[in-house]
Amino acid sequence: MSFDYFITVLKPMLHGAQMTLLLFFITIIVSIPLGFLVMLAQKNSFKPLSWLAHIFVYIMRGTPLLLQLIIVCFGLPMLPGIGEHLVLDRFTAASIAFILNYAAYFAEIFRGGILAIDKGQYEAAQVLGLNKFQTTVKIVIPQMFRIALPALANESITLMKDTALIYAVAVPEILHYAQTAVNRDLNFFPLVIAGAIYLLLTAVLTLIFKLLEKKYAFE
Amino acid sequence: MAIIEISTLQKSFGSNEVLKNISFEVNKNEVVAVIGASGSGKSTMLRSIVHLEKVDGGSIQIDGQNLVKDGHYPKIKTIKEITAKTGMVFQHFNLFPHLSVKENLEIAPKLVKKTTKEELDKRSRDILQKVGLSDKLHAQPGSLSGGQKQRVAIARALMMDPDILLFDEPTSALDPEVTGEVLKVMRDLAEENMTMIVVTHEMGFAREVADRVVFMDGGEIIESGRPEEFFTNPQHARTKAFLSKNLN
Repeated sequence: MSFDYFITVLKPMLHGAQMTLLLFFITIIVSIPLGFLVMLAQKNSFKPLSWLAHIFVYIMRGTPLLLQLIIVCFGLPMLPGIGEHLVLDRFTAASIAFILNYAAYFAEIFRGGILAIDKGQYEAAQVLGLNKFQTTVKIVIPQMFRIALPALANESITLMKDTALIYAVAVPEILHYAQTAVNRDLNFFPLVIAGAIYLLLTAVLTLIFKLLEKKYAFE
Repeated sequence: MAIIEISTLQKSFGSNEVLKNISFEVNKNEVVAVIGASGSGKSTMLRSIVHLEKVDGGSIQIDGQNLVKDGHYPKIKTIKEITAKTGMVFQHFNLFPHLSVKENLEIAPKLVKKTTKEELDKRSRDILQKVGLSDKLHAQPGSLSGGQKQRVAIARALMMDPDILLFDEPTSALDPEVTGEVLKVMRDLAEENMTMIVVTHEMGFAREVADRVVFMDGGEIIESGRPEEFFTNPQHARTKAFLSKNLN
């Protein structure tokens, strides 16, 4: 296998990696705040809102992401009456499915983070005279993020790999170009390159989260 | 004159009656040590004074104002005003782990009292010096020893300029070799006439520093008195039994 062949195969895959990264960042940037809002809704004392948030999380976590992806891409446009207004371009549809799915997981991660905060923190804040809002913003949320960091890192790595699922709705990403090359050249090697690209991306993520954990360590 | 007046306080957790008609007073500038076995109700009594526990019946009056009267609480705003006079130090320090020592000290006066930055800066340095931790101003709580954490916690409570300081077993989570440094800070406060209620297992501290010792057992105050009388000549059989177990 020549270096030229390597470049020929790598080029379109790097192009695909842009799609992978774009989906990754859109999902992270929207689903983390959305997940936080879903968690707040879950904990809200207004019961219907809380139930709605729980049902949302239950559905999103309880069904395969691939199924959700196919529903948003192909299922919604088939709905009688409103379907024709729900025809989205594939990438937009995929982004919506990913955002909703990941928001549910992030909501659970944040909920776990809040549960892990010692009740002494609330008591100290109360005795010092902080009100509920001040306690939430200054004491609870910063600690929640710190506690949630390892789980956020884990989920982000999963997301990086899950982006390959958009292969199923024919959005050209890394795996798409790898598979195209494999079929064209009857060569196993492009799959190795694909694997290497994912490893590189997840290595960068791991490093970033390690640095964040260090920066925000409670020491 | 009494700054805290507690009368016929009652509290149950389910069927477990933890406070049975507790009544006592604390005078201004007085140091009261509350002793008793675990489960005697002493921590619950202390926590009810800062509204960390709600009582089922009885009254608590702080500086002439009713925190609770015959089991009825006023509006939350009034409760906050009354409890603002009281600071509290916890067994497990409860420092905010994501904030530096300086930020731990300044967060409450900054948010609650809107103290200016310059004033906060001066005050946090002064108070930290008082507890002997000037060099830890910018440290994170996680890097401190237990004794240092507890001294920071005391400093944090002092930042709000309380009239009364409550201590809930302040040395129980500490290694024996560092309890001394915390007790010294508490002794200094007592000498400056801070009104203090100290729930403690430190008999030596109760004996030397307290103006009065209160012994609780089974949710009741069994006996109270000046330390020298209390420790040398306890009247009640339950006090005698407790003291013989806890004084070597």
